[in-house]
Formats: sequence, structure tokens, C-alpha cells
Amino acid sequence: MTIPFGQIFQDQNQLNTVIQTLFSLAFIIYLFYAQRLQSLQMLRQVEVTVRKIKTVKDEAKKITIQTINEIGKPTIDITPRIDRLMDQFFLPMEGMDPAGIVDKLDHFLKTAKSVSKEEVKVLAPSASESERDNLENLIEVSQALDQLYRILRHYYLQGKKTMNIYVILQTQMILPQVLEMVEAYSSGVQAFKDGMPVGDSVGPIVAGKLIAGNPVRDIADEFVAADVPYEGRTIIVMKAKGPGGSVGNPDEGLINVLNDKQGKVKIIITVDAAGKLEGERVGSVAEGIGAAIGGTGKEKFKMEEIAVKYKIPMHAVAIKEGMENVVAPLVDPLFDGTDKAVEYVKRIIMDYSQPGDTVIVMGIGNTIGVGQ
Amino acid sequence: MSGSSDTNVPAGITTNWVSLAALAIVGLLSLFSLYMGFQEWGTDQETSLIYIFIGAAGFAAIGYMVFRRQASVNTPRKELEIQKVDVVTTLECPKCNLKRVRDFKRGDYIFKDDEPCTRCDGIMKITRITRKKDEKEIAKQKKADEDTRDL
Repeated sequence: MTIPFGQIFQDQNQLNTVIQTLFSLAFIIYLFYAQRLQSLQMLRQVEVTVRKIKTVKDEAKKITIQTINEIGKPTIDITPRIDRLMDQFFLPMEGMDPAGIVDKLDHFLKTAKSVSKEEVKVLAPSASESERDNLENLIEVSQALDQLYRILRHYYLQGKKTMNIYVILQTQMILPQVLEMVEAYSSGVQAFKDGMPVGDSVGPIVAGKLIAGNPVRDIADEFVAADVPYEGRTIIVMKAKGPGGSVGNPDEGLINVLNDKQGKVKIIITVDAAGKLEGERVGSVAEGIGAAIGGTGKEKFKMEEIAVKYKIPMHAVAIKEGMENVVAPLVDPLFDGTDKAVEYVKRIIMDYSQPGDTVIVMGIGNTIGVGQ
Repeated sequence: MSGSSDTNVPAGITTNWVSLAALAIVGLLSLFSLYMGFQEWGTDQETSLIYIFIGAAGFAAIGYMVFRRQASVNTPRKELEIQKVDVVTTLECPKCNLKRVRDFKRGDYIFKDDEPCTRCDGIMKITRITRKKDEKEIAKQKKADEDTRDL
């Protein structure tokens, strides 16, 4: 059965008129609604992403609660307390008069740390110190995911409410970066739940390899050091106190040791994980000058300040990793990178110090799953 | 903020059904149009071409919609979920160098004196805790190497 056009339209002109009208109509609709259609399409992409992030952050929160219940054996229902922690905020410092802002930041960070420690103590009374450190990290990951979700949802709803293409466009444009961050954080849940070493642990692993069983002593809060003899020199190797998840206080550790030694140190070498550029291999090692340390900048500032005070050169060794490696369980190329980094450190020591000198090596990063 | 996390994004299921229904209708019409076109080919070639053009345009539109949908849904290439990977612990005996690899268990940490050596009277030390290599990772690395080979 066929329906020839001739039966529907009596002559060719009639058909042409209909087609022309349809095209004109489509053009007019496109003229007025193109931007709106584009906005709707982008909004849909943002919505899909918001939903995905919601699933991940809910799952992370569930795992956090389960782990705390399992390890900490609380006697109360911890869910409302975790909900409250998810909402916790850290107000940025007022910088109108920047003099002394680093000490101010230091004070606030210490307050935040002690609040977090106290919260975890209440949440997990039966957990050991290391387990509490890991739980703190796990809560931080859940908080970060929750924060990302809420920010993205805010811009999604704002875009939907105003239908402002620029709000929607900007939100849609940053989706790949946001997703990369969400994936990175979500891969950290397993590591922090079970206390596995992560990509950021490479600095402490290098330090641990250099310590090689030598006795360690506390030099600052959650920060330890060991005196290691090497080719006639003394290496003071420092790292955060493991195996719980902690970055310790490297700035205070360095300040205490340098003041103790009255600045008689030949060089300071910092070893840390560093973000790789696309095309660089995970686990590749590079060296440079300066203090290899991330974070808020407070530690870096104080370490540089004390090094300048005693005029000690600062060398840095970086082990390259992608954003997806930072808090995810350690991968082989990164672990192999720590062996290469140890060789780099030894070579720098041989090149820039003499027998009888004292050298400081600092393994910077989260020491989760890494002992001394 | 149990409440705030439930201040929800409106349901997207309706939109999905609307898209699917639109796809189905356009698909059916296009199919019908193509059928008509091929039926008409012998008798009225001009009308037949119009039908075929409409049918082909319909399928092109469907293809474009599916492609766009894939692209948007795949912005994160896969479903986002909390990853669970296999992690292995390597133990070595400092005395006889016996090496053993087992699954990671909670409480393991690098440089830990873990368990007695099965070959001598030494204590095995954990020397390595890393993610078990999977084929996906190896393929990913291979692709990354290929992409950067001449750069």
C-alpha cells in the first residue's frame, strides 16, 4: 500500500508551499529558541552529573558510618553527628592586614585539627590512635564529596531557575574537572577505610626506606625523626608518625630540629608527590630547588622562613602522579618511583655535602599505611 | 544536614521517557517514509525521492540524538561509583629473603614486622602494599604510551 503525494496534495505547488512553510517555521523556532534549547541540553548534562555525584557522596557517607561503627564501636547513633560534620565549615581568614596572617592560619588550622580529633574520639571510642587518624581522613573525604555535590547542585539549580546560559555554560564547562575530582576522592574511600598507603604516601615511604629500622624520636606533634649514618654524614630523616593517616607538622619538626642544631645543617631535602603534566609518566622522578610541600601554604612558608634564617639550601625531589592517584591505593609505578627517589636523595647528599656534615631529609605527605 | 542533601534535583525519569518516546515516533515515521519511498520507486521517482529523503533525514536525526546523548552521559565515561580495587601486600624475610605476596588485610602497613617466616626463624616484614595490576590499567598505560610516543 502506498500513498502517493499526488493524492494528498493536489498539485506540486501545494506541496512546495507546505514544505516551504515548514522550513520557515523551523527557522523561526530555531531563531528564537536555539539558545534555550542549548541551555536545556547543557542543563541536562549538569543534572546527570549532579545525580552521579549524589550517588557517590551518599555511598561514601554510608561507608564512613559503617566503618566508624565497625572500628569505633560507638554506643550512640552516630548518623546525626556525621550529618553535622558534613555541614562543618572553615571560614577563611580576613586578609585586610596581611602581616601575621600565617600565624593566624596556623592557629585556625590547629583548632580545626583538634576539633576534628575530638569529634572522632567521641564517634569512635574503641578505635586506636592510628585507626582514629584513618577515620578522620575518611570523614574528610566524605566532607569533600558532599561539598562538591552541594556546590554543583547550587549552580545547577541556579541555572535552572534563571535559565541564564552563562551560568549554565560555565557549570557545564567545568564538569570534566569536577568529575575528575570526584573520582579521585571516591577512590580514596577504600584506602582510608582500610588504612592502605595512597599516592600521597610516597614521601613518607622514601623517608621510611632511608630510616631503615634506625630508632625514631618525636620531634613535633605527629612528626618523627631518625638519625641515619650515611657515607660519613648524618642524615636526619623526618616523616609524619605512621601508620595512621596523618601529614604531621613538618614545619614545626624542621623548626625544632634546626633550632636544636643551631642551624648547623648543610642541606635540606624535601621529598613529596607532585602533580604530573599530561604525557608524563606516573612514578617518574624529578629534582629541583625549594620546599616540596603542598597544603595550605602555612607549612611551606614556615619551612622556607627557617631555612632562610639559617641560610640552608633547600633541594626538592618530586615523584610525579596524576590527580587520580593522590588518595587512591598506591600503584606499582609510584612505589617503584620511591626507589628512584631514594637514589636521587642519596646522590644529592653526595654531591652537596661532605663527610661530617648533617643533612635533613623530609618525607612529606600522608603516612597512612606507612610505618617508620 | 540530612535535610539539605535531600533538597532534590527534580526527577529526570520523565525527560528520559519523553526522549525515548520521541525517538520511537521519529523512528517509526522514518521507517514508514523509507518504506513508502521504496514502494514508489518504480512508479513515481520524484515522490519516491522525497519519501526517501524524509526517512533518511529522520534516521540521521535519531543518530545525532543518540550520539549527543552518549556524549553527554559519557562525559564521565563510566558510571561513577566508589571504586573497590584489589590490593596486595608483599612480605619479605630479611634473614633468608623469602618473598610472599598475599591479599591486603586491615592492619597491614609498610615496614611492619608482620609474621614469622615459614622458611627460617626470622620475622617477615611488609615491604610493599600496592594495587593489584589489572588488565584495564595495563591497557590504559599502553594507550597513554602510544599517545605520547612521538611527542
